[in-house]
Amino acid sequence: MTKSPLFNKGFQNAVLSLALKTIKLRYKNSFLGVFWSMLNPLIFLTILIIVFKQINHIEHFALYALTGLIFWNFISASILQVLTSFIDNAAILKSINLHPFCFPLSAMVAAVFNLLLTLIPFFVIMFYLGYDLSWSFLAFFPITIITAIFVLGLGMLMGTINVYFRDIQLLWTTIIPAFFYFTPIAYTPELLSENQRFLLKLNPFYYFIESYHDIFYRSAMPSYENFGMSLLLAILSMAFGYVAFNKYRKGFISNI
Amino acid sequence: MTALQPMIRLTDVDICFYVQENGFVSMKDFLLHPGKYKLLQKSFVLKNVNLQINKGESFALLGKNGSGKSTLLRALSGIITPDKGNIELFGAVAPLLGLGVGLEQELTGIENIKLSCALMGMTKAEIKQRLPEIIDFSELGEAIHWQVKRFSTGMMSRLSFSIAIIKQPEILLIDEVLSVGDLGFQQKCLKKVMEIKDNGATIIFVSHNFEEVNNMCSRAALVNNGTVEFVGTVKEVGERYHHLFDN
Repeated sequence: MTKSPLFNKGFQNAVLSLALKTIKLRYKNSFLGVFWSMLNPLIFLTILIIVFKQINHIEHFALYALTGLIFWNFISASILQVLTSFIDNAAILKSINLHPFCFPLSAMVAAVFNLLLTLIPFFVIMFYLGYDLSWSFLAFFPITIITAIFVLGLGMLMGTINVYFRDIQLLWTTIIPAFFYFTPIAYTPELLSENQRFLLKLNPFYYFIESYHDIFYRSAMPSYENFGMSLLLAILSMAFGYVAFNKYRKGFISNI
Repeated sequence: MTALQPMIRLTDVDICFYVQENGFVSMKDFLLHPGKYKLLQKSFVLKNVNLQINKGESFALLGKNGSGKSTLLRALSGIITPDKGNIELFGAVAPLLGLGVGLEQELTGIENIKLSCALMGMTKAEIKQRLPEIIDFSELGEAIHWQVKRFSTGMMSRLSFSIAIIKQPEILLIDEVLSVGDLGFQQKCLKKVMEIKDNGATIIFVSHNFEEVNNMCSRAALVNNGTVEFVGTVKEVGERYHHLFDN
């Protein structure tokens, strides 16, 4: 049991198959498919442009807002999917001998795949809004992997507690809109005072969203601060998440 | 006479459930007094279980609802690890614990076969190789391309039984799932189980249908209140099982 299941071929296939199922189900019966994943950020983008453009005197505010929205949606939605993955798969967990790490991992894989799928049409819009493609684009891949590890760890930590206390799920859906305004998406950090900016940096999501802003809005490599903090947070989150999961997963079957 | 070769051996096995009973209050105590309070309370489901089942045997587990039979099967299939003691298995296990689990309503029969096999730990190559066999055994014909939500209950059972049985296991765990499908398919399932048995596999069988148990099994154990109370021939165990309901 101590050996990581990640290197097991059967386990890898199980993770991919579950992720593929999630994607298939999301689009199977809907006519417009990927479009639905794009609609929510586009509606919010319109609102942000109408409401916040007056206070944000920066060039290409629409591009700034859209970048933030796409990746905020990715992060907040995938945390919830990882969080509920144990409960969603209760029946399988109880009757098939499969390492339960499979469930959060496949939820994360599905979320990343879904992000890549929606990014393709979004690129067209981003170019239209003034995105200047440069080599720094390549930083998108490591940043997304780091973000995924952060989300997976945090989601697993909350998901493990959620098996025993279903309040976590409700708590998370309640506070996530607050985090949206605590993260620089509708506004730029420059708009705030020195003290307020200090507070902003206590929010872990700040560094991930700012890294994406660096890449897609500033067309630059992520700053050392943003990249370093993202990496550190991802490692911490994964460590805490996995340890909690591993310690308390023995009670999953009796509580789901 | 050949010596009995053990296939499954349980030594002093304890299995506990971990439940939290006090809701958010226990979370508060847990956080405020580190080390003093446990987040989860332990309760024994199986206690001090000792059991040996031999190669080629058909073995039945009898007991009331909630006595721990299903938990025992889950432990044998590796879904639950025991808190204490040792479970030794001398062969590959195929659990038939819940038919229809993992079937996804929106996907077709074929897609579901691939998904279920993947969840059972099979690789892509293995699945590809076994696919025709599974389709063939299910006798679903054209319906295999339908979405499972349009299947009848019996058809769904056919599909999941065909998937579960495919791996030619050395140890087969059956939890009250043989009474599925129509009479024809039931007999086919039973025949298949017998065939697996005749190939030298060991079968562990949980059922409340005593007649079925009597036909299939040679030995049995009585599980009561989380312990194995008695092991003997099906007839002996059956009598004791009936005594449990006397008053």
